[in-house]
Amino acid sequence: MNSKNNSAVVRLDNIIKTYHLATLDVPVLKGVNMAVWPGEFVGIMGTSGSGKSTLLNILGLLDTPTDGKYQLDGQEVQSFSDSELAVIRNLKIGFIFQSFNLFPHLTVEQNIEVPMVYANMPKRERIQRARELGERVRLGHRLKHRPNELSGGECQRIAVARALGNRPSFLLADEPTGNLDEKTSNQVMEFFHELNRDAKMTIVMVTHNPALENTFHRVIHLRDGRVVDRNGDPIMGGHSSMENSFGGHN
Amino acid sequence: MLVTDLFRMSFHNLLLHKMRSLLTSLGVIFGVGSVIAMLGISEGAKRQALAQIEAMGIDKIIVYTQKPPVSGTSEGSANISMVETFGLTNVDLNHISRMDNVEAVTILRDARKKVNKGTTRLDVKLVSVTIDFLEESVSQMVQGRWFHPKDFESTLSVCVIGNAAKRRMFSLGERNVIGRNIYVEGAYFKIIGIAENFMGTQYSELGSPNDMIMIPKSTSDSLYGNYASITEGRQQRIQNVDHDVFMVKVRDTMHIDDTSKRISAYLTKIHRKVKDWGMLVPYDLLLQQEKTQNIFTIVMASIAGISLIVGGIGIMNIMLASVFERRKEIGTRRALGALKGDILGQFLIETVFLTTIGGFLGICVGLGISSLITFYTEMPTYCSLWSIMLSLLISSFVGIVFGTYPAWKAANQNVIEVLRSE
Repeated sequence: MNSKNNSAVVRLDNIIKTYHLATLDVPVLKGVNMAVWPGEFVGIMGTSGSGKSTLLNILGLLDTPTDGKYQLDGQEVQSFSDSELAVIRNLKIGFIFQSFNLFPHLTVEQNIEVPMVYANMPKRERIQRARELGERVRLGHRLKHRPNELSGGECQRIAVARALGNRPSFLLADEPTGNLDEKTSNQVMEFFHELNRDAKMTIVMVTHNPALENTFHRVIHLRDGRVVDRNGDPIMGGHSSMENSFGGHN
Repeated sequence: MLVTDLFRMSFHNLLLHKMRSLLTSLGVIFGVGSVIAMLGISEGAKRQALAQIEAMGIDKIIVYTQKPPVSGTSEGSANISMVETFGLTNVDLNHISRMDNVEAVTILRDARKKVNKGTTRLDVKLVSVTIDFLEESVSQMVQGRWFHPKDFESTLSVCVIGNAAKRRMFSLGERNVIGRNIYVEGAYFKIIGIAENFMGTQYSELGSPNDMIMIPKSTSDSLYGNYASITEGRQQRIQNVDHDVFMVKVRDTMHIDDTSKRISAYLTKIHRKVKDWGMLVPYDLLLQQEKTQNIFTIVMASIAGISLIVGGIGIMNIMLASVFERRKEIGTRRALGALKGDILGQFLIETVFLTTIGGFLGICVGLGISSLITFYTEMPTYCSLWSIMLSLLISSFVGIVFGTYPAWKAANQNVIEVLRSE
């Protein structure tokens, strides 16, 4: 277990998140345990209100848990300061958004460069890498275009190229196909699989689209702030069941 | 984030909305423009005034004869003698020249003659001078020669005329008037030179050297002595005046104050019956002028400050709107790893760029306004490098002051919230 512990890309231990409103406390995550192993393609699913978004924010280090332990590449990050978190987001997490969040006034190439800019990569190296990544998502011929000249599928591929800029530990995708039609959506999913297969990229994808359930290696179901099994039964804190929820796919 | 990237990015953002950027900085443009124009006007006026004061000589005390106010009521008028004696006397001259700090005294005397061209009276004065007057009044010969010491030993009827006087007495076609004679109330004077004073110097009632016909003191003394007969309508009066102006040159400017006080004290004592003299210390005027100037500058600075505050508030407003409009971009950048400081820097530099470019354009506007003013009103304006640098500095400062709050706001956006917003 220890060796597994140390090699997990992401490991959450009893993560609790409570929002303090004026008069009452709203518990959103009530003790989430999960792990993501290198090379995995994990889906996080759940209905709205299940705490999915909150979990995503915590995984993406945009939010800090009220309690619990979050290890990223073996490093405990739950108590990091705002700027430390920004640096880790920059270097270790590749964000992919539902609505792409590309910068409309920048060219495709410049869009890909953005995270590298914040990593203080020298300009020449940055451009070189942006071109490589552009080629890799098969949009090398579009580098000088602006996002509004691209189709939705192409935009999402650019967003993936951008996420890969600083060689992150894992990609964190938030409904990446939510804004795409079915055909494009399939293409993008295929693209993610390719990335996972060929580049051994670890991917965590949050979605509520049941059609995608079978395309993941493993699905973490979330209901009412807890990880549940396929049937919707809570997986309680016992050792064996934890093992179950952390369980690797091989 | 590298500083160069930060600058590039901010600049890029401004160029995205050229029109908006321009409109945003209009407040600063016109604020700085009016500052530059006003400073230009005040500096121009100041320099002109200072040049005039300095032309009189910073090391000089000008003492002059003033016609005393006539205390003439009906009972007095009967007793008024035909000869009016007043003004600076030879005794005064002797006393003043022997004072400690006094190096030399240059004396002028108005002959009180009418200079006519045909039947028109010209505003030109016939003045007797000493040989050092040319130098002491900082005038230059433009044609012919100045008096020779020999001219003061003789009683030759020669004269040097001021350039303006020449223009009044002769027509445009008469270029060379050297050697010609001019006639002033019964006497002819041969012109030997034309002098000009470029500094705008004025000697109280005698006016500028440019408007004078200057004759050697020896000539004047032999012709007129210290008397002048004045015809006013039917009344004829005799005025007995020894000297009209003493240009007292002091040895040490440091003690010019003491010297002027002593002269003043002396004259007050001697001329205690009537106040028939005046004194003017260019150095004091200079100090006075500087004091007035400082007040003026403070007033200007407050007006400028208000206009810049207004401009700054306008910019802050637009930047706050811009932060709101770009909150999704801010959220995305933060998610991709931008530090709060990166976002803060981006918006702050954007604002400072905006105001500095506004300041630069404002300087151009200000210079344009000043040159227009000079062109149409012939009022001198002067834009010093100092005022330009200061304007640029202040406009950047305005950017920092009014950009900090929007930038702070941008940096502290709630990332989760703004990412969810559309």
